Amino acid sequence: MSRTVRALIVSLVFAFAASALAQTTLSFWSWRTEDVAAYEKFIAAFHADNPDIDVTFTPYLNTEYNTILSTALQGGGGPDIVHLRAYGGMESLAQAGLLVRLDGQVAALEGFDPGVLLGATNRADGGVYGVPFALQTVQVLYNVDMFERLGLEEPTTWAELLAVGDALKASGVYAFANGTKDGWTNETLFGAVGPTFYGGTPFFQEITAGETDFTDPRFAAALERMVALRPYLADNYTGVGYTDMQTLFAFEQAGMFAAGSYELGNMAQLNPDLRIGSFAVPADDAATPSAISFYVDGSYGINANSPHQEAALRFIEFLASQEFGQMFTDELQQISAVPGTQPTSEALAGMVEMMNEQGTPYLMLTAFRFGQPSGSTLLQNEMQAVMAGDKTVADAVTNIQRGVAEWFEGFQ
Amino acid sequence: MAASSPASRLAARVAIYLVLGVLAAVFLYPVALMILTAFKPTPEIFRNPFGLPESWGLDGFLEVWRRAKFGLYLRNSLLITGASALLLLATAAPAAYALARYSFRLRGVLFLFFLAGIMIPIRLGILPLYLLMRDLNLLDTPFSLILTYTASGMPMSVFLLSVFFRNLPRELEDAARIDGCTETQTFWRIMLPLVRPGLATVVIVNVVPWWNDFFFPLLFIQTDTWKTIPLGMQIFFGQHLVNWSLVFSGMVLASLPLLIIYLLMSRQFIAGLTAGAVKG
Amino acid sequence: MRDVRSWWGKHGHLVLFLTPALVIYGMFMAYPLISSLTYSVYEWDGYLRRGFNGLDNFVTVLTRWPYNERFWGAISHNALFFVLTFAIQTTLGLFVAVLLARKWRGFAFFQAAYFLPHTLSLVVVGFLWRMLLNPTWGAVGQGLRRVGLGDWVQPWLGQSDTALVTIILVNAWAWLGFPILVYLAAVQAIPREFHEAAVVDGASPWQDFRHVTLPLLLPTIAMVTILTFIWDFNAFELVFVMQGASGSPSYATDLLATFFYRTAFGDPTTGGEPGQIGIAAAIGVLMLIIIGFVSAFGVRFTQRSQTEY
Repeated sequence: MSRTVRALIVSLVFAFAASALAQTTLSFWSWRTEDVAAYEKFIAAFHADNPDIDVTFTPYLNTEYNTILSTALQGGGGPDIVHLRAYGGMESLAQAGLLVRLDGQVAALEGFDPGVLLGATNRADGGVYGVPFALQTVQVLYNVDMFERLGLEEPTTWAELLAVGDALKASGVYAFANGTKDGWTNETLFGAVGPTFYGGTPFFQEITAGETDFTDPRFAAALERMVALRPYLADNYTGVGYTDMQTLFAFEQAGMFAAGSYELGNMAQLNPDLRIGSFAVPADDAATPSAISFYVDGSYGINANSPHQEAALRFIEFLASQEFGQMFTDELQQISAVPGTQPTSEALAGMVEMMNEQGTPYLMLTAFRFGQPSGSTLLQNEMQAVMAGDKTVADAVTNIQRGVAEWFEGFQ
Repeated sequence: MAASSPASRLAARVAIYLVLGVLAAVFLYPVALMILTAFKPTPEIFRNPFGLPESWGLDGFLEVWRRAKFGLYLRNSLLITGASALLLLATAAPAAYALARYSFRLRGVLFLFFLAGIMIPIRLGILPLYLLMRDLNLLDTPFSLILTYTASGMPMSVFLLSVFFRNLPRELEDAARIDGCTETQTFWRIMLPLVRPGLATVVIVNVVPWWNDFFFPLLFIQTDTWKTIPLGMQIFFGQHLVNWSLVFSGMVLASLPLLIIYLLMSRQFIAGLTAGAVKG
Repeated sequence: MRDVRSWWGKHGHLVLFLTPALVIYGMFMAYPLISSLTYSVYEWDGYLRRGFNGLDNFVTVLTRWPYNERFWGAISHNALFFVLTFAIQTTLGLFVAVLLARKWRGFAFFQAAYFLPHTLSLVVVGFLWRMLLNPTWGAVGQGLRRVGLGDWVQPWLGQSDTALVTIILVNAWAWLGFPILVYLAAVQAIPREFHEAAVVDGASPWQDFRHVTLPLLLPTIAMVTILTFIWDFNAFELVFVMQGASGSPSYATDLLATFFYRTAFGDPTTGGEPGQIGIAAAIGVLMLIIIGFVSAFGVRFTQRSQTEY
């Protein structure tokens, strides 16, 4: 072995050792088990510019993530970077002092839409504790090819919607893929059907200000429309769970699916050939404006107990950057919360347009998840019973109002 | 019975076989269907739900093994269940021996103290137990599970083993003492080997629920490193719910270890369990 | 000093024998169970303990809506769980055990078959049956359609009047092998002469069962019943896996353990509700009281009936 080769090896070894010494590894916890591959790409892009920082992405099962995260953080442990839920889901962590306040530290946050930042704001001190990552809309998705084959068009009135449903049923598929077995999917169905009939943002502002409550006839009217769709749901819909719905819509056994924008990515995995369009549930006449729900899905935060604050902040700044926002949209087919990102897919662009023109905050998630029993828990379980025919809308309204009034100051 | 004709006795015999056979089908068919389905790719599951699979490829299993880190979960389950069984035997046997073969002032109280736990499931203490594990820094380590399992198996095991120890003849100890054995030597060399069937019973009674336990890993184990098979599989099922073929393969793999042990040694298995139950 | 040494010489081995078991059992079982009693009389803010608040948490569980509705609902579901399971195992289970005791050819196979599902994890049992019972493509529905009984297909797990019974039957499928085995062992332990004497007296098989087998089995039946009670009042996994932590649909399958879990750790499906330790601990203590009292009473009763013969 020549001397130069030996010198080269030695210096290489030293270089490795040196870089290993300077290397910081950030841990990053999430509930997005479906997105592992995408996050690995994002992290690789970050690592390319920041070779001294490495990030390990660890996803947990959606339904167990909250328990795992809050117990770990309360115990003084947990990851450096935290994938946070939105609204009530993150607020308790921020209030307990477990997260780093980011406004003032992350310059890019100033460019974010104030309404979007609400999803990562602690109402007690007004501080922003996370960089919002995605916006989701809830509306009706439909199978474009199936509509074309049957000569159907996006409905502009409620009667047309029902006519579209009848035509789909007559062609041998279900009108809607939706079922009610999994409680939370009832809230999604409401998020798609409700806003048009309770009157969107004006009602939202009144009820969150405590000027009206859930006994308002507009709310009951919205629930009634959900009930009116029962004949158009899948057969035995009370036994149809979330995965069944996905299967039905992806494999073209149903023409429509009241669902969140996040299904675009799921559908692309299940059946890449499926062309998906979307529309807002129309009102009785075409002149009355229709609305869809939207919400901030969650945000990225920093664990206050993390020993790597500086590195974590650099990664968070990357997550707030336009470069990341665009990558996020392209990779995951979701609406990035970073301002100025352009959705590349047609289906997603349609949703963004609807959100900008007709979007209203997703009622229970954005405003009534701050106490127990949450508006979501109440809506989900009460409407599950109503949809099964075990309860009336009036009973459901009474219980939802009573439950939220237990803790919501606006109603007390 | 004595008065009945051979024909009606035959009819009765056929009827009994029929009843038991139908019942056996009810118990076995879903398991068989699960195994058959695991060999089918997802489209075939819809197309041909009941028939034999078109090919007997092991792709689904290999994919689960790879994607679900099944080997890791299997190792964890083996280590945790094995360590719990050893620790339980090592602690319950001497305690049972002391309570069964000596008379001392606290004996009655201590025996009752252990016995009280038989009726109360440890789950009801989960909140303090959880915080205790957190304060001892045992969360996310196998020790949280090993200690919990050992503690929860203690009451029944102490009780069972004390029954076994009590049935041994008194002459054994006297002979050992004459030979100059210390108390510890008597226990270890003479008495313990004689209750081997009891030890086996204790292991069998406890290992099945430990192996299948989902509740404590759900709360104590957070990272993949120490997930056990039931928890790992639950998460895996959650992630791949729409990939039915993978889910069925995962279920079969998760069930296989106990199934094999059970098929190989069902007699000992059953003897151990019924001894445990009948004595308890 | 000498006292200590001689005491140690006399009792040292006892300390050695008993300490490890006492430490593990005391620390990881007795202590948590006893402290959960104390947890229930404090106010909690997340995982931080605040002031003593007496029986407030119990009052909340028992009287304040929606806790009271959930609590009584859950108790009635657990009770139905136990009663139905008990009914199945002491009729069908006992019947099968008595038949199997004849030890005819092939009975060992039946015995093994009945017990086989008992070795499966409840997580697997839950997923398996959730798929089998799925109304759109599950094997049960497809099977019924094939034999022309398509009208019988129902969303069994989605209807509030069938969901709980369906869960109980699935549980029975996984559990029944155990009582069958225990009863079988007990039937086989009855000395042959007892039956022979009955046959000589001209007893029919039913009379033999009624007057010889059943009385001798009573202690075993009582013991298995107590075990079943403890198990069924703790049931959690099947509902959690098949119906979610809130006992879907609309709490129709909610059990004490799922109610407890939800209250303590928040409902995972709605995302981010804060857990309420004090109220959860009160639920746990109430479960402890129910299970402890009923099983202690059961054991007393069994012992008394045992001494009668």
